[in-house]
This record gives sequence, structure tokens and C-alpha cells, in this order.
Amino acid sequence: MISIPVLLLLIFAAGLLAFIAHHTIPVLRDAIVIIAITIAGYIVWQLPGQTSNVNFSIGMFAINWGVTEYSQLFGLLIAVLSFFALIYSSAFMANKERLGYFYMNFMFSIGAMFGIVYSQDLISLFFFWEIMTWSSFMLTIYCCEEAQSVGLKYFIFSAIGAYSILTAIVIIYSGLGSLQLANIFANFGTMSIAAKLAVVILLITGFGVKSAMMPLHVWAPDAYKMSPAPYTAIFSGALSKMGIFGIGLVLFKLAAGQGFYPYVQEILAWIGALTALFSTFYAIFQTDAKKLLAYSSIGQLGYIITGLAIGTPLSITAALFLTIMHGIFKSMLFLSVGAVYYRTGTTNMNEVSGLIRKMPYTFFTALFGIITVAGIPPLGGFAGKWMLYESLIQSNHYFLVIVIFFASTAAFLYLYRFIFSMFLGQEEKETENVKEAPLRMIVPMLILAVSTLVFGVFPGLLLKPISGAMGYLGNFQHAWETSVLFNNWGSEIDLNTIVTSIGGVFIIAWILITVKGYRKNRYVTTKDIHTSGEVPTGNENLTYAIDFYKPFERALGSVLKPSVDKLYNYTGKLLEDSFEHLRYVYTGNGQTYAMYVMGFLLILFLFSELIFGVAL
Amino acid sequence: MDINWLKVLGIIITPIIAFIVGVAYGGIVRNITARVQNRFGPPVVQNFWDIIKLYSKKTTVSHGWMHHLAPVFAITASVTTLYFIPVLRDSKLFANLSFSGDLIFLLYIMVFGSLGMALGVGQSGNPNAAIGVSRGLSMMVGYEIPFVLALVAIMIQFHTTSLNDLLAVQDKFTNWIIFQSPIAFIAAILAFLGMMGYAPFDVVIAPAEIASGPPSEFGGKYLGLMQTSRSIFTFAKLVLFTDIFLGGAGDFGTLIVKTFLLYMIPVLTGIVNPRFRTEQAIRFFWKWPTVFGVIAILAVVMKG
Repeated sequence: MISIPVLLLLIFAAGLLAFIAHHTIPVLRDAIVIIAITIAGYIVWQLPGQTSNVNFSIGMFAINWGVTEYSQLFGLLIAVLSFFALIYSSAFMANKERLGYFYMNFMFSIGAMFGIVYSQDLISLFFFWEIMTWSSFMLTIYCCEEAQSVGLKYFIFSAIGAYSILTAIVIIYSGLGSLQLANIFANFGTMSIAAKLAVVILLITGFGVKSAMMPLHVWAPDAYKMSPAPYTAIFSGALSKMGIFGIGLVLFKLAAGQGFYPYVQEILAWIGALTALFSTFYAIFQTDAKKLLAYSSIGQLGYIITGLAIGTPLSITAALFLTIMHGIFKSMLFLSVGAVYYRTGTTNMNEVSGLIRKMPYTFFTALFGIITVAGIPPLGGFAGKWMLYESLIQSNHYFLVIVIFFASTAAFLYLYRFIFSMFLGQEEKETENVKEAPLRMIVPMLILAVSTLVFGVFPGLLLKPISGAMGYLGNFQHAWETSVLFNNWGSEIDLNTIVTSIGGVFIIAWILITVKGYRKNRYVTTKDIHTSGEVPTGNENLTYAIDFYKPFERALGSVLKPSVDKLYNYTGKLLEDSFEHLRYVYTGNGQTYAMYVMGFLLILFLFSELIFGVAL
Repeated sequence: MDINWLKVLGIIITPIIAFIVGVAYGGIVRNITARVQNRFGPPVVQNFWDIIKLYSKKTTVSHGWMHHLAPVFAITASVTTLYFIPVLRDSKLFANLSFSGDLIFLLYIMVFGSLGMALGVGQSGNPNAAIGVSRGLSMMVGYEIPFVLALVAIMIQFHTTSLNDLLAVQDKFTNWIIFQSPIAFIAAILAFLGMMGYAPFDVVIAPAEIASGPPSEFGGKYLGLMQTSRSIFTFAKLVLFTDIFLGGAGDFGTLIVKTFLLYMIPVLTGIVNPRFRTEQAIRFFWKWPTVFGVIAILAVVMKG
């Protein structure tokens, strides 16, 4: 009956216990968090059985927690990803320092995310939102000194988001006198048009920061790069989805039906598409694997935002499907980069290469990851991409679909670069002794990888909870079958047939090429290749990695020159300079301040009649 | 479970027909190229002997398992693409799986092979191959844009994403989509030039620059399988364009005529042109072909 408080208490207590355990009995630390998340997963799984909400009040605020089908979708995603990330980190983080701090903040993030999705009032939502921001900030600056400026940037943007949300909450409260979500959703239309528009814009800004919507994205690449890999998986896989969760609520529970709704939809859809396009371009030219994936993550969230903004049943299905798939495949990719980092100590793509034979399972995960991101059948990304394109074309967004398609074709470039630079290419002397990552890291990655295949063949497994969530959002219905998807014009794709065809031809060709003239092969090194007659010596550098896409960069020309990040830095510098001048005013000297006070009182005294209407 | 034997038969013989036609076209193209360059080409059947010879070779070296799988990825994409395209109009035998997919699926399955091959050639560690892949993927971003613009224009004009529905629309000569939306055809055929990879867009292979690039580490049965895949894929793309723009074909005679004429566009362009640099090729597609694609969409939107 009281499952949500138990769930939250369990996670937060586990965080504290892990902190204490690290300083007393370190052996228990990993066990505590993994057991806690396992139990939490079970609680989340059986939550839909709980029909009654949890109500109590703290001070003058009525707190209300409850389960909806929409929150359940996100709750399950958080639980599953956290479970795998924590198992992974038990190996990845071993022998690192300050693990109590790490696990405490990790658990607090997870707990805060559960709190957000199960909140039914704005106060607890905001409260958990802030805990989430704080704990993720703590883990962003966890690694090293250099992370501090990165953390500051993240924090400034989070603060902008938080104040936007807070201002919106104030406006809502002054207009409706209630902070319960149910009341707000029911009575939102009664507020004045200006207040409604302000609330929608402020909330989308606030939630947009966490989902790294352009131009609020600049914190993401560095913050993703600096946080430890298991947490990055959660950061990009689950935490960014909280922004999506919020935007979904704002769009369909508040904005829908208002006069300005179509404009909000169009603008947001274009913001999403341009986010996808530009972050893809930036991703192509990154040299750090984690930053590449971070830009990729921003781009993928752009698709999701576009899908939500279009607001047709098919596009919302696509957006929510991509939300879950993105959670899975981006975790896989970040975890596989983490595995490479664990063994080689770097995520720079120009420094490592040719790991495929050293780390085959990590390669396999990364391979499934990139195929899913690319949206190539038969893996899970395809169903989401297909639904998104169909919904865009069939809701008359012709140029939007071109931009999205441009972005997702260009995505092949960075995906190939990612897998080529790290796993394929020349085998270098530096990575000679690299071994496969430990089992506790490999198993979570492989399970996630296989799940992309399962959801690719049977998208219906995910579409069932998604259609429940859409029912909560506004009675949207779209027909689907376990492995058949329909569009609005009566066409369909049958994923069973597709997978049978691809799988059948693949296996026949595989057998053919393996059996045909079979004899025991001798593996030749990556130096033993066709180089037009020259014989490369052992230490000759044949790696092609730096400026991998130079021709593409030339073709793009100056498109990428203007950078939002530079604009912010410029603004920041401008502000800093003006604060220099302010320092003449705020000298930090008590006597000066006393003089100000005296001056202020003098002014009050002299102009009292003008200001207060009475002479003092 | 009842097995649809007609379907099974179609699935078996379609790739064989595609292979034969594709390889024969290859032989004819070699002759045409030779005549233009004022020499006598090889016999038309030379390509068949080449492929048979390649299959009979034995391979003793291995570049790793991803490299081993590269031609498998390529042929999977080619044959699957072929299965989802109706080869002949209203033919139950050659409809294959075309009712289970649509144009957007085809767009994605067509790149499956390139990406799989790119992964395979990556493992060989040959820098020329990597350069070729980098060029190929970059150019794909170039020509996919006008191609998708053209397809979107057609999809919204006829309110369908299914190839079979598009065929049904083109029931008589005057209803061919080439006549109904000529601007979309121009955009698509310019993109087609890039897709086929003949000069001036042969930056991926570029024999004189990067020693044939991606296929350079493949020999024997690997090269044989890749040639097979290439022939089938060429045929599949030609049939796709015939189905979309030229009203498909009711019998094999018509199909051969239409696909051959279509094939001559990139081939003849290729014979008389030098090679672009990669960025020139990409920019070419982002200029006029894209403009035509945009006009095609606007034209449909204006018409309402």
C-alpha cells in the first residue's frame, strides 16, 4: 500500500548506508546498492497494482505521490538502467577513491528520478528535481580538478532551468491556488492567456535544460565527458529523459487545446530538428569518444522532442519508443566506451585503435549500439525512426522530415568514426596487452545489446506500455501489433518478415563464405596489407584517424563557425568585465557599506514626501 | 502451416535473375566504355568468367571475423532490397516481400550493406580503405538529401509510402510519375548518379588515388561475393527507379529496355567526365539537385 515511500526511502537510505559502509566495512558497499536497486526494481514492477495515491503534508504543502501509466514507463526505464549501471560500476569503480561519495550521489540521483516521475504535486517534483541536479553536479565534478569549470557550467544552466520551473510554479500557484498536478491539469485553461503562455515557455525551458535542447545544450558534452562512465550511462540514458518526461506533460496536459498550442508545437518541433542537425555535425568532428556520444545524445533527444511536439498519435508513439530505445542504446555505448577507458585509460579516438580482437564483447556491444542509433533494421532503432518519418510526412511536415533525415544520415558518419577509430583500424603496439573488460562489465552490456534486437523484432513489447502512457497523456490511440507497424495511409511494415529475410540471407551467405573452399586460415597482422608494392615496417604509422572527415568539413564550409558555446563564453566574459566595475561599488569594506546605508537613509529623509506621501 | 510455394519460388529465382542481368549489364558497360575510348572491350560474358574464377580461388589468410563478414553484410542488403521491390507489375511470382515493407524501409536497408562493408574493411587496417569509407559515407550524406526530397514529394503527392500503391497509380503511359512530377524525377536522377558511383562521383573507388579503396583487401571468394552483391544491387536500384518513375514493367522485355536505358544515364555521364574531389561531389548534390527537390515538394504543396 505504501510502495512509493518505501521505494524512495530504500534508495536514499541505501545511498547513505553505502557512504557509511565505505568508511567502515567497504565490502558491503557494492552489495548494499545492488541489493537496494534490485528490490527497488521489484517494487517499481508491481507499482501499477497500487491504485491509491500517497498523501501527507509537510508544513503547508500537501504532498501527493502516485503512479500513472506515463510515469510507470519512465520508472521502469530508470530501474532497469540503474540496475545494469550499478553492476557495471561495481567492477569499473573498484579501487577508485571516494567511493562513498560516488555511490551516495549515484543513489540520490536514482531516488530523485523516481521521485520526479511519481510526484503528483509540483512541490515534490521541484524538490526531487533539485536533488537530481545536485547529485548529478556532484558526480560531474567527481573525477578531477579540471571538472570544476565544467561543473560550474552545468550548474549555471541547471540553475537557469530550476528558476524557470520555480517561476512557473509561482505563476501557477498564484493563478490556481493549487499545486496538485490533477487540479492544475483540469483547471489550467482558466488562467489568463499571458500566464498560460509564460508557464508553458518557462516549463519547457526548465525541462529543456536537462534534455539538452539547443541552445541550452552547451553544458552536456563536457559534463558527460567528465562524469564516470557508469554514471554517464544514467546521465544520458535516464536523467536526460526527465526533461522529456516534463516536456511531455507540459505539451499534452497543459498546452494542448490552448490557442497558442499549434505555434508552440511548430517552434518546438523545429528546435528539436535543428538540435538534431547541428549536434550531429558537431559530433562528426569530435576527437573524444565520450564527447562524440554526448553530441549524439543531444541529437537523439532532438528527434524525441520533435516527435513529441508534432503531437499526432503516431509521432508520440515514435517519440516514446525512441525515448526507451535511446535509454538503452546510449547506455550501451557509454558503457562500452567506459570499458575501453577501463583498459586503456583514454577515450581519445586518435589514441586507441584496433581493439576488436582484444575486446570482442565490447566491440559487439558498440556494434549493436551504432546499428541501433543508425536506425538500421532489424535492431530497435529502426521501428522508432520509421514511425517518426511516417508521422512527419503524414502530418504535412515535409521540410522537417528532410532536416531529420539529413541529421540521421549524417549520423552514420560519426557512428562509423566512433567504432572504426576505437575498435577497427591498425593494431598498435601501445594496446598490445589490452584484455577484455571484466565479466561484471561485459554482462550488463551484452544483455542491453541483445534487448535492442528483441525490441527491434517485437516492438509491440514496448508499444504496450507506451500506448498506456499515451492514454494518460490525452487519449491518443495508434494501432499496432507485436511485430507489425502501421502508418496513417494504410501501409505497414512487417518486422517478422524483414528479420526473417535479413537473417535468412545473412546466415546462408555466412555459411557459404565460411564453408566454400574452407581451409585453416592464418591471421595476418594489420601491417600485412596491400600498399601498392611498398612493404610497411613494423613501426610505420598507418592509422587513419586524425581529420577523418576532412572532405565533409570542407563541404560544410562555414556552417559550423558560429557556436552557441562561444556566444555564452563571450556573454560570460562581458558580464565578468562589468562585475569588475561593480567591484568599485561593492568594495567589501564595511565603512563604504555604512556610507551607502547613510546615503540611503538621507535620500529617504529628503524625498520622503515624494516616496511615502508623508514627511518624516 | 501452409507454405506459399509461389513465394518460395520467387524468392529463389529473383536473385538469380538479378545476378544474371546485373552481370550482363556489367559486361555490356565494359564494351560501351571501350568503344567510347576507341578500343575493343572484352567479351560480354567476361564478367561471368571473372566471378566464377574468383569463387574457385582459395583464401589462406584472414583479416579477422568482421572482415570475413563484410561481403555477407553486402549481399544481405542487396538481396533483401531486391525482395522488397516488386520486380514486375501485378506479378504474384515476383512480388516477393514487397507488401511487408515500404519506401522508408528501403531507404534504410539500402545503407545496411554499405555500413556493414565499411565495418569489415575497417578491420583490415588498410588506410586507403578507411579513406574510401570516409569518402563514401560523406558522399552518401550528399546524394541522400535530393533523393529523399524527391521521394517525399512523390509520397505526399500520391498519399502513399508503398511501392505497390505507386505502381497502381501509374496505370497507363501518361500517368507515369516521370510525367506527373518531372521535377522530382530530375532531383532523383541526379541523386542516382551519385548512388551508382560512376564518374564524376567515383570518389569512393578512385583507383588512381587510393588503390580502389574499400575493396582493396578482398580477394578470391570475398571479392566474388562482393561482385555478386554489386550486380544484384545495381539491378535492384534500377528496378526501384523503374517502379517509382517509369511505371514499372509488365514483362521482362520491357523491364530490360527500361532498366537498360536508365542505366545508361550514369554510365554515359561517367565515361565522359573526370572525377570530382569529395567535397565538390557533396556540394554538387547540395546545390541544384536539392533545389529541384525543394521545388518538387513546393509544387505538390501549392497544388494542394
